[in-house]
Amino acid sequence: MNSSKKIVLVGNFGVGKSSLMRRFVQNTFSENYTVTIGVHILKKEIRIDEFNFTLIIWDIEGKDDIQKVRPSYLLGTSGFVFVIDPTRPQTFERLNEELDFIKLNYPTAQIVTVCNKSDLINIDEFKERLLKSNTSIDFFASAKQGDEVENIFYTVGMTKENNV
Amino acid sequence: MTDSEKLIKLKQLLLNEDREFAQNILQKLEDLEETVRVYEKLSEKVNPIIDKKFDAFIEEIPSKLGPTIANALTKSQDSVVEALFPMIGKMVKKYIQQEIKTLSDNINNQVQYTFSIKTWQRKIKAIFTGVSEKEIILSEMNRAVIEQIFVIENGSGIIISSASKKESIDQDMIAGMLTAIKSFVEDAFMKDQQGLELIQYELFEIYIKNFTTYYFAVVISGGCDVIFKNKLEDKLFDIAAKIKTDAIDKEQITTKLNEFINE
Repeated sequence: MNSSKKIVLVGNFGVGKSSLMRRFVQNTFSENYTVTIGVHILKKEIRIDEFNFTLIIWDIEGKDDIQKVRPSYLLGTSGFVFVIDPTRPQTFERLNEELDFIKLNYPTAQIVTVCNKSDLINIDEFKERLLKSNTSIDFFASAKQGDEVENIFYTVGMTKENNV
Repeated sequence: MTDSEKLIKLKQLLLNEDREFAQNILQKLEDLEETVRVYEKLSEKVNPIIDKKFDAFIEEIPSKLGPTIANALTKSQDSVVEALFPMIGKMVKKYIQQEIKTLSDNINNQVQYTFSIKTWQRKIKAIFTGVSEKEIILSEMNRAVIEQIFVIENGSGIIISSASKKESIDQDMIAGMLTAIKSFVEDAFMKDQQGLELIQYELFEIYIKNFTTYYFAVVISGGCDVIFKNKLEDKLFDIAAKIKTDAIDKEQITTKLNEFINE
């Protein structure tokens, strides 16, 4: 069985959405920061058990508010990857609010939260900090070092319910 | 020997050496004068020096003059473009004129020397429609051809089915990017119930037909007139009527698309 899925990377600008996508699809990383204008699309074919999946990954330009993203970019999404930068609080201060918006408007899509640049922080301390604000993160990843990147994309959009 | 004779003898003894020296200098000056005056002799002396310097100059041209020339060209880029533009324009114009002449000759040949049934049909068509025979041939030569056809899910941009006359670049990526462009245009103009219908690039057109849950994207080469578009729309409606949105049969759609593209 072969199935295609639209995966959308969302989050503030500069959190590393493009870096995560490039690490996953091309296994490359660059220290040079380039701003994504509009949308950048890449694809990767993966195999989970006996199923083949074609992931069409949409890397959308960073916005400080998910509601500012063009709604048509988000339609038909199987899985959202919400990325934050632990070194910039403004990228996760409104995380719960943003996630609620996605759940409300795209109920069939799965959401995973990713703390990128986790090589720059003490993960345990950061988890405690998040706990105080009742926020949780699914993956502590690093596009630079490649930590957890594969797991993110193998997890997102793979639930039976959202096999659109 | 008198005193005066002795003095003369002494002078001879003392001045003889100077005279010889002066004579030598005079001879050398004459030789030098001859060398400068006679071309062959001067060439023999000077040419090796000039050759050596010239060789050294040639070797130094790229390193010494290269950056200077590049710098000068960059600084006067606008002037260079302005100077070259008319010449390039003339060349392009000449080329196009030549191509049009060749095309015109081909058409004339067809009109004059072909006596097939098709030619007679064309002649009759020209009489009844009022369109010149040349124009009919021109439209026949530039006939629209469907190169690729995609059925793409609205929103997700995921490809439902596709058919192509030849192998193309990644169809998933084309479908994704087309959907992104379409979404951007439709959002940017914020017009409800309106959608992007046509993308043109060079010799190709991408004709888009929107339906509720999916859209068709048809890549067409050649001249795409209203009659062709009407026929295309009818065909797309026929295919759409067979697509059941609740249970899409991808194989069935692909078969239909392949039949359509190879008609």
